[in-house]
Amino acid sequence: MFTPKLTEPVLTKRIPTYPFGDEADRRIVSYDDYVKTGGYGALRAALAMPPEDVVNAVKESGLRGRGGAGFPTGLKWTFLPKADDPDEPGVRYLAVNADESEPGTFKDRLLLDYDPHLMLEGIAIACYACRLSVAYVYIRGEYHHQARVVENAIKEAYEHGVFGAKGLLDGADTATGKPWAVECHLHRGAGAYICGEETALLESIEGKRGWPRNKPPFPAIEGLFGKPTIINNVETLAHVPSIVEHGADWFKTMGCESSLGGPPSYGSKLMGVSGHVNRPGVYECDLGIPLRVLVEDHSKGMRNGKKFKSAIVGGASTGVIGPDDFDAPMDFDIGRRCNVLGLGTACPTIFDEDTDMVAVARNLARFYKHESCGQCTPCREGSGWMLQLLERIEAGDGRTKDLDLTLEIATSMGAMPGTTICGLADGNNWAVRTILNKFRGEFEARVKPTYVPVTVAVGAAANG
Amino acid sequence: MPTITINGVACEFTPGQTVLQVATANGIDIPHYCYHEGLSIVASCRICLAEVWAPNPRNDNALEPIPKLLPTCQIQAQDGQHVYTDSPRATANQKAVMEYLLVNHPLDCPVCDQAGECKLQDYSYEHGRGVSRFEETKVKQPKKDVGPNVLLYSDRCIMCTRCVRFTREVTGTNELIVQGRGNKEQIDLFPGKALDNPLASNVIDLCPVGALLDKDFLFKKRVWDLTSSPSVDGITSSGDNLWIDHADGRVYRVRPRTNLEVNLWWITDEVRYGWKHVHSEDRLATPKRRQHGARVETEWPRAIAEAVRGVRRAVDEGRRLAVLLSPMLTSEEAFLLAETARAFDPDAILGLGPVPTVGEDRAFPPSRDGEPVHQSPRSPSPGQPPRPFIMRAEKCPNARGVRRVIEGIGATPLDVVGFVTAIKDHGVGAVILTGNYPSAWSTPDLRGALAREGLFVVLADTLDSPLVELTDVVLPAATWVEKAGTFENAEGRLQSFEAAIRPVAGARAEGQIALDLHAELEQERAKADGAGGSPAGVTPKPARLYDAAATRRRMAEASDALRVFITHTHQPPAQHLRQTDMPVVEV
Repeated sequence: MFTPKLTEPVLTKRIPTYPFGDEADRRIVSYDDYVKTGGYGALRAALAMPPEDVVNAVKESGLRGRGGAGFPTGLKWTFLPKADDPDEPGVRYLAVNADESEPGTFKDRLLLDYDPHLMLEGIAIACYACRLSVAYVYIRGEYHHQARVVENAIKEAYEHGVFGAKGLLDGADTATGKPWAVECHLHRGAGAYICGEETALLESIEGKRGWPRNKPPFPAIEGLFGKPTIINNVETLAHVPSIVEHGADWFKTMGCESSLGGPPSYGSKLMGVSGHVNRPGVYECDLGIPLRVLVEDHSKGMRNGKKFKSAIVGGASTGVIGPDDFDAPMDFDIGRRCNVLGLGTACPTIFDEDTDMVAVARNLARFYKHESCGQCTPCREGSGWMLQLLERIEAGDGRTKDLDLTLEIATSMGAMPGTTICGLADGNNWAVRTILNKFRGEFEARVKPTYVPVTVAVGAAANG
Repeated sequence: MPTITINGVACEFTPGQTVLQVATANGIDIPHYCYHEGLSIVASCRICLAEVWAPNPRNDNALEPIPKLLPTCQIQAQDGQHVYTDSPRATANQKAVMEYLLVNHPLDCPVCDQAGECKLQDYSYEHGRGVSRFEETKVKQPKKDVGPNVLLYSDRCIMCTRCVRFTREVTGTNELIVQGRGNKEQIDLFPGKALDNPLASNVIDLCPVGALLDKDFLFKKRVWDLTSSPSVDGITSSGDNLWIDHADGRVYRVRPRTNLEVNLWWITDEVRYGWKHVHSEDRLATPKRRQHGARVETEWPRAIAEAVRGVRRAVDEGRRLAVLLSPMLTSEEAFLLAETARAFDPDAILGLGPVPTVGEDRAFPPSRDGEPVHQSPRSPSPGQPPRPFIMRAEKCPNARGVRRVIEGIGATPLDVVGFVTAIKDHGVGAVILTGNYPSAWSTPDLRGALAREGLFVVLADTLDSPLVELTDVVLPAATWVEKAGTFENAEGRLQSFEAAIRPVAGARAEGQIALDLHAELEQERAKADGAGGSPAGVTPKPARLYDAAATRRRMAEASDALRVFITHTHQPPAQHLRQTDMPVVEV
């Protein structure tokens, strides 16, 4: 039986969410509301700490990136080159990834919709800690309303001196003895999935075509406009204020240790459940919550009382789990435990027993084919080929050899480590490959067997 | 020196070189499409991926494999690395990429101009699968007219983006862009622009497949029927190194020949299409002589004899010979003509023909306030700053070389104005003019001076022009692709080249004309001497054949100042002179 360690909301403190509040009470948190409920207190506390201590606090908390890869945030922050003079490190950037385009993922949207100042406070703290002077919030093109909310929040923050040339919090004194000034800008995407990839995001901010860059050089060394850049997800940054306020040890009381001996999954996580459930939505849960609890408690069970069949774990790129994995804990080990790419964004899409998995595979393949940026050959050509194969299989015109070919294309495109510059091909591979492997029977039922003709020599030919 | 092992071969390298560069320098072929040494690195075609084993300093420098296949065009060589492009994983990737590239390729090689020099064909043969398993519908892309000289067959494009990077990084004009996404993406023009810049046609050579094609060469010839001869720019003073592609005595196209000290990887369009006059309908093909005031066609021996007779008559009358040496001539020819002129008349006036200039020198990438607008990140070799490509304003190949020759033999070259003034003087009785410009070149002033009564005019030129009507003897000359010689470019670099094709019907190189005139002159003189003594002793002595290398040796003997033609002349590398890459088979 799962007992949640999360007793009060952290990220959703000001956004009423089950089981801590009623969704009907949600409204946009203005600057005044935010400050009244203790907002920007963490920033003030952070400014009283030397920047290294802030970085160390985040590092000790074990906070892992909430964007999908789960990379330790504190460690990422230490990759920045050491500046000769910590007060004059030159222009360095923070790029905030609010390009939430993964199919089935809508967790950052909750924060952007209602509590943008939480992210802005995280931005301010991160900029102070890592000595970054400019922050860009790269928001997904389709998030029209959210862009307006965030823009308004940034305006409020400037008006109240959080950002601006005077320095953070109206030029408040810091532990370094000098105020630290941060500029914050909102940059809207134009609707390309690939621009959520961190280096494509940088290219897009620079005004170029959103094509991922080769690494190395890594963005921490040579990022936006050729300068050292940190790229963090919205939810990751939203965690930073509470870590600074309550300390690393408090953060570790939530979440879970790794049962496989890997790095732990501490803290709470926004999980957006969608698909065939009674109440889809974003819920803040402990990492490690079993999928069954998320579905049956938070989402009020499967729709129409159907049976659980499968789920995309956290965004399409992670792949699917089978019917036996309904009890899988949603932590960063889920990849190894259930043979999927990883936890991803922890936004599961639930499929009930009536779902046609061939159609799911085809639908996902269509998404990747449409969103492939076209830079690397395997992804550009492979994604289109795979979609055509799956369309043919779905229509009943496939042969058994097409299943093998689909698997081979998936593997040669991207197998983590794949053959392409970015991970889009890997995502395509995991999505299609896990469905095909875990539900092979459904595919085989659709295809005609490939006959191997056997020639039997008769008559004169048989006698030589 | 640090060492990297590629496919089992230990290769030394300079730090900063990429694995692909090290491999190429050591004769190891790694397939690649998007990489070009003159452009930035994008590592997007993914065929050059290799398995890399690197020493792990945390494990006593034991070799450990890097899990991901790495792009050899992008990663820098590290000491002690082992790189395999022939391992099972690397070859599996090469096979997969080849199959992917052909998925949406129309496979229309039989009607494609690139066939025969296509990297898709080459790598399919070397690394491909032979059979495609693709049974679905191909994406069809349009054919586009992107500029005055270039056609784009989007269908055949493999999206290596070399052309896009070229217009960004080299010309700085940004005409080409990538449009669309996924397998529907295509190269396109920036809205409102056309691929029309002085270097535009280089994208044709850059394109590893048949997507960007030359309108001028379109459907003219299969490339395997062409012979490539190394040559040098004979249109401007750039000294750009060229390949002259020809068949059956006809030039079909001109391509840049990589020379990191001169033209890098590029040539301008004016050089690329500057050979058109070679096969012009206006080419002078038959010698002509004046008969009763009109010019009639004649044979070479008679034309030469008449020319010699006319010049000798003038000189014998005590009047001067004036010779105009065109800056289109090779240095060797200028020397032979000057030598012949002095044989006629030891005090012959030597002039340098008009040196046409258009605008000013232009550097690519263009610079603004002394800083390049688009810095090409590639330099010819590691550690050296990138150098620009320069388009020359001077539209003749050898003004410096001809002047050097004239001064080398102790004369002072007159410029055109001085030359015209000189021949207006009645002291001049005969003129030998050389032209060889790609278009009409004479000035009204010059024509006026030539029209003077009693002036004997010999013209050696390539194209029909108003000048022909003013001459007594017309000798059809050969363009630079039809002869050998040495040009001195704007930077003072001496570069020799061989003839690509034989002179078109009836024409002779000016060097040969000089030798013919000289031989005829000696024979006439011998006859004249013999007329007083024993005529039986005169036997016709054939003229020597024009030989550029031998002429250079004679120039060095003639004058110390001309020794540079032996010591400082750059010749095409030996492997460029090879005519075939087919192995010789013992039968």
